[in-house]
Amino acid sequence: MSGPLAGLRVLEWCDELGQLAGKLLADMGADVIKVEPPSGSSARAVGPFVKDTPGPNRSLNFWYHNTNKRSAVLDVEGKNADRAAFERLAEDADILIEDRMPGTMDGLDLMYGALSAMNRRLIHCAITPFGQNGPWANYRSSDLVALALGGPMMMNGYNSEDVPGAPPVRGHGDQGYNTACHYAVQGILAALLFRDRTGEGQFVDASMHEALSSTTEVGLPYWFSKRQDVIRQTGRHAAAQRTDEWLHQAGDGHGIIIYGVGRDNASWKKIKTWLQSEGFGMNFDEPRFDDPKARQQARGAPEAAEIMAEMGRFIAMHDAETIYRGGQERRQPWGAVRSPEENLADPHWSDRGFFVGVTGEGIEKPALMPGAPYQFSATPWALRRPAPRLGEHTGEVVAAASEGRWP
Amino acid sequence: MPLPLEGIRVCDLTWVIAGPTATRVLADFGAEVIRVEHGQSVDAIRLGRPIVGDHSTLNNSGFFNYFNRNKKSILLNVRHPMGTDILRQLIARSDVVIENFSSGVMESWGLGYEELKALRSDIIYCAVSGFGHSGRDKAFTTFGPTAQALSGLTHMSGLPGKPPAGWGFSYMDHTAGYYGAIAIMMALHHRNKTGEGQQIDISQVEAGIVLTGPAVLDYTVNGRGWRRAGMPPGNRAWEPAVAPHGAYSCAGVDRWIAIAVMNEAEWEALVRAMDEPDWARDPKFATNAARLANQDELDTRIENWTSEFDDYEAMELLQAAGVPAGVCQKASDRFERDPQFRAGDWWTSLPHPELGDADLDGVTPRLSRSPGEVRFASPLIGEHTWEVLREVLGMSDEEIAAQDAAGVLM
Repeated sequence: MSGPLAGLRVLEWCDELGQLAGKLLADMGADVIKVEPPSGSSARAVGPFVKDTPGPNRSLNFWYHNTNKRSAVLDVEGKNADRAAFERLAEDADILIEDRMPGTMDGLDLMYGALSAMNRRLIHCAITPFGQNGPWANYRSSDLVALALGGPMMMNGYNSEDVPGAPPVRGHGDQGYNTACHYAVQGILAALLFRDRTGEGQFVDASMHEALSSTTEVGLPYWFSKRQDVIRQTGRHAAAQRTDEWLHQAGDGHGIIIYGVGRDNASWKKIKTWLQSEGFGMNFDEPRFDDPKARQQARGAPEAAEIMAEMGRFIAMHDAETIYRGGQERRQPWGAVRSPEENLADPHWSDRGFFVGVTGEGIEKPALMPGAPYQFSATPWALRRPAPRLGEHTGEVVAAASEGRWP
Repeated sequence: MPLPLEGIRVCDLTWVIAGPTATRVLADFGAEVIRVEHGQSVDAIRLGRPIVGDHSTLNNSGFFNYFNRNKKSILLNVRHPMGTDILRQLIARSDVVIENFSSGVMESWGLGYEELKALRSDIIYCAVSGFGHSGRDKAFTTFGPTAQALSGLTHMSGLPGKPPAGWGFSYMDHTAGYYGAIAIMMALHHRNKTGEGQQIDISQVEAGIVLTGPAVLDYTVNGRGWRRAGMPPGNRAWEPAVAPHGAYSCAGVDRWIAIAVMNEAEWEALVRAMDEPDWARDPKFATNAARLANQDELDTRIENWTSEFDDYEAMELLQAAGVPAGVCQKASDRFERDPQFRAGDWWTSLPHPELGDADLDGVTPRLSRSPGEVRFASPLIGEHTWEVLREVLGMSDEEIAAQDAAGVLM
């Protein structure tokens, strides 16, 4: 079995911003050739590194975002012969993905207009911070700056009474770059389906700014409908008004997200029985707790406050994982606040074969990392090869390009 | 202009946010998305704030409108045997079926993948759930914040020594939806090549863990987790480790600018933009390593400078000097002030019977030959029941009226 994109030829010239887009295609079967300058993609200089020793082949960030690709060193901006090789590859490619700043490809005469004259089926996707045009097109950006301007960051943070003067907070993991790539791939695939029907390629202008602004859930609807901005809150959704807390601290110091306690009678009965089996909430049998309205925090009833205070004591006596599993077993969509690596110990992911082993310079045996974001029954995700060493495939790529064929 | 997904019909059984996000993408690119809705068990987002007016009518939620533009809606009582029959007919005429119920619901309706395949041999069936349709915890359920918490994303957002700030919205509802749209389009391409459909199983929590890859590898290779002193590092950089890197307060109430100095050239540009203050030439800020070691003082010094400025003014000054900097924009800023969105005609407005002229954002990315398009606002509940039964299923008005009288179309 091979992936749904098997047979697709992809030329990628991307660093930190666009590399996930190439990975998403490569992991599903596309043949992705990554073009790098002689010094290597700048993403190779992003840590963490294997055993904290930097080196072009030791970046774990690069390992993760460049699975299933080949690497060819081409000095596209410095050498005419390498620029020509790039052009020949683009002539045979189905898809070109690049994350150069606007104007760079034009300056090299490698923009869609020029390339499509040779290859009308080409889908050229340019991933940039702000798109190809407009007053900010040449603004400098980064993951942090993009999350600020796009809107997500201003929704994350703390109530001022919890952390006075706290700034808006950027969630880590380069989610700005990730979201830019999620949208870029959506555009590439829509263009691919159009090409399946018509034979025509096209240019795909993917702006990280637009992608992030479209990833702020209730933020825009509140402005659209009410001309109101939502306010950020500790560990829960930003909202137009202050809302009930979700985030509680369990006995092991880890966070646990709890919501909907007492909302309906069926779930209330299960939670009450659970607490009482351990000697908590013994007064919850009093009739004043029977009305769902009296149990809802937002309505300000004293019973609701009593329930949450007792829940707090109960949670503090257990670790977060116990509350998570106990809640889920009682049909509550609660979740423990895990550190990312703590998922390695959860057997549910092993049941699904989610984590996969990857090899690379400086490690003796494969190291686990996250695998497929989706399971396909006929054409599954597959780790066919680890991220390439810098220029690992230069020879075969240059030789093929000089003969006018795809490597 | 032609739409890229013209001719693709999606039987949309999704609700709340994750599933509807996937079908928003497909609808924006031109697929015919038919929402199958149920009067006895309505999509909670139809009641979701913000609503226009004093009470919910099921058709006046701006929240619903945002995620369900460009889609049709039919009302169908799937607990009625004749309702299930209509659903089967719709599936037989659809390219894609997508749902985000808990694991097992489709099987309980007699509509597991094998049954779907019997109705349409090349069907693409996408299920989006919290934990996926296999594994010991497949019956567990999520909201967006649950998935963010379990995957590690919530923990990775916060100031050191404080509780997590987390994500102030359902980032993983959006992103599970994006993976759904991506998977469906990949499967459609495969079907175009081979004629073969397939089943796609997406776990919202797994999709979240996928977004933490380098952090997981730092643990499996270097033995270092994210639960240690100084982590999460707030707005300071994790990797690459650079300084200054943060959000700094500006003049006014709750106004902030993000500044990310990634290299020496950008540090020099920042110093120039600040008019070469003496402190910036102190050896303790001379190299990135020195700046990292003296970040507390560095951040205070920079904030003393930014707090004198209007945030947009500071951004323009810094960008002109070559420093990556951006205002922490609220929705109002994006809509009213952001010149990039204005120049790109990013905001549109479409008429809706209960919302009036409802604002919406555009379709990204922008395709040169067959761009996506915001064509119509979200459907009223059941707005297209007759149209779909007539035009897609080929039923006569008499047949539809009989179904209606039998309580099937509610």
